[in-house]
Order: sequence, then C-alpha cells, then structure tokens
Amino acid sequence: MKRTNKKLIKNIGFYALVFLLVAVLMFPIIIMISVAVKSTAETIGFPPTIIPKTLTFEHFQDVFNVSIFPFVKYLGNSAYIAVVVAILAVLLGILGGYALSRLDFKGKIVINEVFFLVYMFSGILLIVPLYRLMASIGLRNSREAVIICMIIQTMPTAIYMIRSYFDTIPKELEEAGRVDGLSRMGIIFRIIVPLSVSGLISVFVYAFMIAWNDVLFASIFIDSPDLMTIPIGLNSLFNTPDYIWGRMMAASLITSLPVVIMYGFSQYLIKGGSTDGGVKG
Amino acid sequence: MRKGKKVLGGSQNAFAYKLLGPSLILLVVLIGYPMIYNIVISFQSVPINPKMDATFLGVENYVSVLTDPSFYHSVGTTLVFTALVVAVSTVMGLAVALLMNRTFAGKKLVNSIIIISYVVPSVCLIFVWRYMFNNIYGIINYFIVDLFHFTDEVPLWFDKPVSAFILVGIFAVWKFYPYAYMAFTAILQSIDKSLYEAAKIDGASKWEQFKAVTYPALKPTLVTVISLRTIWVFYIYAEVYLLTKQVDVLGVYLYDMAFASQNFGKAAAISIILFAVIFSFIMLLRKKVLKVEKD
Repeated sequence: MKRTNKKLIKNIGFYALVFLLVAVLMFPIIIMISVAVKSTAETIGFPPTIIPKTLTFEHFQDVFNVSIFPFVKYLGNSAYIAVVVAILAVLLGILGGYALSRLDFKGKIVINEVFFLVYMFSGILLIVPLYRLMASIGLRNSREAVIICMIIQTMPTAIYMIRSYFDTIPKELEEAGRVDGLSRMGIIFRIIVPLSVSGLISVFVYAFMIAWNDVLFASIFIDSPDLMTIPIGLNSLFNTPDYIWGRMMAASLITSLPVVIMYGFSQYLIKGGSTDGGVKG
Repeated sequence: MRKGKKVLGGSQNAFAYKLLGPSLILLVVLIGYPMIYNIVISFQSVPINPKMDATFLGVENYVSVLTDPSFYHSVGTTLVFTALVVAVSTVMGLAVALLMNRTFAGKKLVNSIIIISYVVPSVCLIFVWRYMFNNIYGIINYFIVDLFHFTDEVPLWFDKPVSAFILVGIFAVWKFYPYAYMAFTAILQSIDKSLYEAAKIDGASKWEQFKAVTYPALKPTLVTVISLRTIWVFYIYAEVYLLTKQVDVLGVYLYDMAFASQNFGKAAAISIILFAVIFSFIMLLRKKVLKVEKD
C-alpha cells in the first residue's frame, strides 16, 4: 500500500515535470499561434492575452493578398532556392556517397577529412571572397548566388548521410545487376537509388531545411525585394508600416509548416521504413 | 564481391573521381579558391566600387584588427556566450533526455514538442521573441513587472547590452538544446537495460547507476556534442543579428565590418584570424576526441 502510494506520487511528479517542460518550451509557439488569430488591436493591447478574445483569420488572408503584403513573392523565392538546393544536394550526395561507400581509390582519406572540415566550418568565414567572387561573375543580387553557396554548405553532410545509408545495402545486389549487364552508373541509379528512397528523402529534407532557413547568404547576395527569401524579406519589413504582428505570425506559421511536416515525415521514414525493399539494414 | 572488386581494381580510381568530380570542383571553386583569395584580400585595401583595383597594404589590416578594442570586446563576448550557451544547452539536453528515458502515455507527442524549436526556422522564432519581449506590450515584461513584481523597472531587453546578451543566450539555448537531447536520447535507448538491473542487484543507487552505466555510454557523444556545438556557436551570426544589435559576437562583428563598414580588407583579416583559431581548436580536438571515419 505504502509502496503504491510512493509510486503514485512519483508518477504525478513526473507528469507534472513533463507538463511544465512542455508548457515552457511551447510557450513561444502558443504565442505565435495566438497572435496570428487575434485582432491587431488585441496584439498590442495591455495586458497581453494568451487566449484571444476574438478570433480572426484576417491575417492569413492578408498574408496571401499580394496587393497588400509581399509574402507570396518571398515564399516563391524561398521555395525555388530550397528545392533546387535540395535536389542538387541529393544528386551530389548519391554520386559522392556511392564513391565513398563502395570504391577504393587514392586520396579517399584526404577527401573524407576535407568534407569533415567543411562540415564544421561556417560560410561566414568566407563571406568577403564569396561576395567578390559572385560579383565578378555577375551573380550579385541573384537567387543563384544563394543556391550555389547553399549547395556547398549542404553537400558534405549530404554525401556523409547517403554514404552511410549506402553502407547498409548488401553488395550482393550489385553483383546481380552486373550479371544483368547494367553499367556502373546503371547499378547506382537502377539498383542502389531505388533501395535508398527513405534515406534520400531525409537528405532532401535536411538540405531543404538548411536552405529554407538561411539568413546569411540571402542577406549578402540579395538586395531587391523581388528576389528576397522569407527570412530576409519578412525581416526587412520590420520598422515599416507593413509590420503588423498578426501578419508576421501568420507568415511565420506558414513558413514553419513545410519544414515541420517534412521533418516529421522524414523521421517517420527513418524509424518505420529503413528496411524497405526487403533489404536488411 | 571481393572478386569483383579485384577485377575492377585499376578503374576504381577513375570511376570514383568521376563520381566525386562535381563535388570536388565545387569545393575547389567555392571553398579552396575563396580561402586563398581571402588571404590576398586581407593584405589589401579594397575599394567599394568593384570596378576599381585593390591596392596592396601589407599587414595593416591585421594591425588594425589586433589594435581594435572592439575586436577584443567581441572576442570576450563570444567566448562567454559560447561557454554559457554550450554548457546550458548540453546540460538541458541531457537532463531532458534522462527525464524522457522511460515509457509513458503520450511520449511520442511530448517528444515532438520538445524538439520543435530545432525544427521551426530561426527567423519565425525570432519574430515571436521580439513580440514577447517587446518593451511596451510584451508578455514577458507583463509577467516580470506587473504580475509577479520581480522588478519595477521595465527591462529593455533589446536595447541594453546585458539584457540583450541574456535574451540571445536564452534563445540560443532553447534553439540548440534539442540537438543535444536527440543525440543523448539515441544513446540512452541503446543501453542494455540488464546493465541497470545488474547494478541494482549490486545495490547501486540511482546516482551510482548513472556513473557506472549511463555516463560511460554517453561520454563519446557528450564530447562530440560539446565540440561541435562549441564550434558552431563560436561563429553564430543569424540568430544574434536578427534579435538585437547590442550583442557584438564575432560573427556579427565580421559581418558588419564587411557589409556595414564596407571594409573588406579588415573583414578578410578578421576571418583569417578566426579561421586560424577554429582550425587549431579542431586540430586539438581531433587529436584528443573527434574521430574522423577512415576506411
């Protein structure tokens, strides 16, 4: 009896702790949602409210109204950059990952170490030469300059992730392909890639997130509002009459949505389906 | 399979470099060349107009950086900031991972809430922080001043160096601790439960179990998490820059030197110095702790 009581108290304590933790960590997100659905007057009213007195979806409508708010333009630019970066990172990752996973070649150790170093360094150390370089080839104020820099930023990790995924695929399957007369490129794209879909998706998601969240390169290379991505575009509205909290929060929620969904999906794939295709992991 | 490798033997080199070619070209053009170019610029005076030629300056840019009091201020800020953020976010990640290391109803949901700050883009989180910590109608100041009366003076979070430092610090911990949490959780799940049972039979207390079983298993990950996070926080830029202009970490100092003061030569010199510092740190770590996969 005494023992169960003690256990009960312990359990209650645990749940209380978890609840407190979740409440504190979620608080900013709750505020984000709350501000997105309350009236502008209420967002700057005092005392501040957590649960809105009146519900409105006007901010969401405004955010998508091109004539009063430039969010859709930013969204398009961000999507363009992130999708191109993610596709190219996956492609480079497949090629490089295969080489590091399956082939023995001179300089492998050096290349491994170089990738590892690049992974640890940040682009900020190269902003000056990269800026001059892009300017000299006419890519200043272009989304392509951001894409190029984001590819180099994501490539080492993409290659590493894909390489370790390829490591889990039995080599015997390649033999079968070779017997069937596939070229070496054919083996990679016809046999290895189809077996690695969930791994490739998580690399796509990783690169997409990095590019979607980028502030540094976008702020260096992009000046004109037409080309701005979401992070620097929305930030540039700060201190302008367009800076309406409700819209900012609505835009933030919409910006978060794709990465949250994609991340959740990739986690689900990693946990649920890493043995797809009947291949032992 | 081993036979196949032998047969292919000589041509593996060529094929490997064909596959790695695009990546290596990118590395050379976008990392190798800029690194060398950066060194060149650091010895030059670079005019703002890109059509005009740069002039050779010698070590003047380096002298200018190393005699600039704001550089040392920035170094100090960065070191303190990095130490605090890494320590707190690692401990918090570990604490939450240990707390969550059991089965309970709703674990999956709680787990995804715990890492949400890591997944949501920084810029979105920063907008909420600017709102919550607003001087006039922010809910945090409402809690601190009006509800709980911790202080009568409204803290101007974004406008004073110390409060801005705290603000950015809390933000960085909140944003980065899930990384540590996820790394530790993966290890904790892999620990054989029978080890704890054995320790219990031996009469070990919870703390002794942690020391004997959990800590040895966690240690390599702990070291890696601390090392990588230290390097990353050391040149943090975006989160600080978007939140406040009062915290002059090195990333911000470097960025402003390049694009606000338009002093490319000095900015290049700063990045060379930073590069040297981080590179020696990594080399030191590599010898001691970080394992580079070699095969």
